[in-house]
Amino acid sequence: MILLQSPSRFLLQILQDRVLSGEKGMDIDCHTVEFDDVRYHIQFSMRNPKVMVLSVALPLPPPEAILYDGLPLGAIEAIKAAYGPVVQILDPPKDGFDLTMKINLTKLPLDEEQRNTILTQIASIREVVLGAPLKLLLKHLASKTVAPNVNNLVALVHRPNESFFLAPQADKVTIVYPMRFQDSIDIVLATSFLQEFVEARRTAALNNVPSCMWSPVPPLELKGVSADALNANAGFVTFVVYPRHVEGKKLDRTVWNLLTFHAYVSYHVKCSEGFMHTRMRRRVESLIQALDRAKSDAEKLKKLVHGGSFKRLSLKNEGDSRF
Amino acid sequence: MDALSRPAVVIDNGTGYTKMGFAGNVEPCFITPTVVAVNDSFSGSAQPAVRGTPARGNWLAQHSAGVMADLDFYIGDEALARSRASSSHSLSYPIRNGQVENWDTMERFWQQCIFNYLRCDPEDHYFLLTESPLTAPETREYTGEIMFETFNVPGLYIAVQPVLALAAGYTTTKCEMTGVVVDVGDGATHIVPVADGYVIGSSIRSIPITGKDVTQFIHQLLKERGENIPAEESFDVARRIKEMYCYTSSDIVKEFNKHDKEPSKYIKHWTGTKPKTGAKYTCDIGYERFLGPEIFFNPEIYNNDFTTPLQVVIDKCIQSSPIDTRRALYKNIVLSGGSTMFKDFHRRLQRDLKKIVDARVRASNSRLISGDAKAQPIEVNVVSHPIQRYAVWFGGSVLASTAEFYEACHTKAEYEEYGASICRTNPVFKGMY
Repeated sequence: MILLQSPSRFLLQILQDRVLSGEKGMDIDCHTVEFDDVRYHIQFSMRNPKVMVLSVALPLPPPEAILYDGLPLGAIEAIKAAYGPVVQILDPPKDGFDLTMKINLTKLPLDEEQRNTILTQIASIREVVLGAPLKLLLKHLASKTVAPNVNNLVALVHRPNESFFLAPQADKVTIVYPMRFQDSIDIVLATSFLQEFVEARRTAALNNVPSCMWSPVPPLELKGVSADALNANAGFVTFVVYPRHVEGKKLDRTVWNLLTFHAYVSYHVKCSEGFMHTRMRRRVESLIQALDRAKSDAEKLKKLVHGGSFKRLSLKNEGDSRF
Repeated sequence: MDALSRPAVVIDNGTGYTKMGFAGNVEPCFITPTVVAVNDSFSGSAQPAVRGTPARGNWLAQHSAGVMADLDFYIGDEALARSRASSSHSLSYPIRNGQVENWDTMERFWQQCIFNYLRCDPEDHYFLLTESPLTAPETREYTGEIMFETFNVPGLYIAVQPVLALAAGYTTTKCEMTGVVVDVGDGATHIVPVADGYVIGSSIRSIPITGKDVTQFIHQLLKERGENIPAEESFDVARRIKEMYCYTSSDIVKEFNKHDKEPSKYIKHWTGTKPKTGAKYTCDIGYERFLGPEIFFNPEIYNNDFTTPLQVVIDKCIQSSPIDTRRALYKNIVLSGGSTMFKDFHRRLQRDLKKIVDARVRASNSRLISGDAKAQPIEVNVVSHPIQRYAVWFGGSVLASTAEFYEACHTKAEYEEYGASICRTNPVFKGMY
């Protein structure tokens, strides 16, 4: 149920504020970071209150992913197609960023609904840029062809220094994610989460969704990939996407969900940790209650005479009172 | 890229509003009400059974109910909207009077803040959280536990709100880390003297009049006058009237006269729609515009239990501080918190405080025999800056963008070595514990 939304909340908020605020402008110069090291730099100047300069830095590409001028395949075309005249790409991009765009808010459509759609699109710049190659491949899948001059195994940037792999065919695309986590507890939780995830796919209600597999060793599709890209400590997840999953409007959602699969798993791992803590806290509370009930009346009285339950520090135990 | 080269996440959890964003920015990314809407239909059954052994099916139902309740919640403005729209969600305010009361909802609140609002991976960033100066060490431990265990943060610093508020002024004016911070938030009012960045713990004063009381007082005034406001919204309307129309007057009597002479100029109107029927209603906003903030200066008009005005409490606070810091403290009184945003609040406070101080100097001078050295007049200065509303956050942002910040943090390695007790003490309270 908790899928991350593709527009960045903060970007959208700034854009909407600016569009609604009318003529008066303020200098804004701020940096934000999103998961997987996507950084934004937002600038508004006093002189041009309706022009936003947005710089985006993408995650550090792994060696096996192929980029064109620092951007994923087809990103520039995707930006042009998505925003039209509102956005102008500045070349070269700002120092430390991969893409700099000038967004002219005066060129937005006047109709409120249309305007909001395009603002939301600008806020989802991450999806447009990083998802461009994936979208290209899946579009070909929708028309049941294979994109020309594409290898039979494509590596795309997923997280900093990590990639996921696509094996495009005319009637299906196989997508493999090597899953990596830092913390030892996270690895265990993620592994069992993924196994449950595969298990949940088997229920009758989910008959039409892409099939999904998990294995602790690299699947056959990844033959010939360098060993570095394959050391995953939480196993490999494989999705098989068929043309029916990328028809029409489903395409955008599919692209975004595939693009943020790791964030999705990581979010759920954190949620389950939080959930376990809640349970543990409740358990401790109920145990303390049970202990309290077991106390005899004499003990309760004694506590009252002594006053609060703070541990008094005395010179004797000062040495170990530091912690 | 490692966590040190990414900006730290700064979250200031206040009773009323939470300010969150990344270090190095001037403004927080989001300011949202500190409130969580949880789905009630599950939480009732998710309570552990009191006694006896429940049947296995019951346990399973409880379990899945717990799982659902864990996922079905909203925070901030979404929570408010959700609870208004349907009766299945009820609001829970995790922080009360500046202290975290409900850790379950607090953890969920943080979870949403991090994943849904800031959209960052907590493993990638250092965190700076804030606490009120009267927080118990156990609370700090709890915070550390949640941050390190649940969110796996690489490093955490729990800063004291008034010190941050002082640090916010530090950049706009000069290098001054000595001063009194008057922090009037929605749920807690603290007066905290700070000398060279260290909190003078024994002189902290807190008064039971807060932003919420201003709202309550306005609410009461509106009700007594019989304004036509639907009951279920009335508190919310009072809060918004407070935020939009209230100001500080220099003299109540004069202000009453002004209002009576030119009601058209001073009396404002509030228009709203009733949530149930959708009908429009209007109400007048009159004296409460200046009477609301007045409860800080004349608390007796609001309640009979606490009648010491704010300026007297500040004076007492400074008088109880070490003698060599007092002049510097009078010179730098810093306001922070949303409820000091009323227009001319700082002027009024400065004038009233100056009166007390001058009277004392005069009294001591008149006791002198001729020939003795006279007391130097004392400079009283109440500082107000435009970012007052989130001064604490801004101070945190400044602090967290310095290189020293990363050294002062508790790191995950330390946590794993020593446990949550590393968060127990805070260096700014040196000598207190």
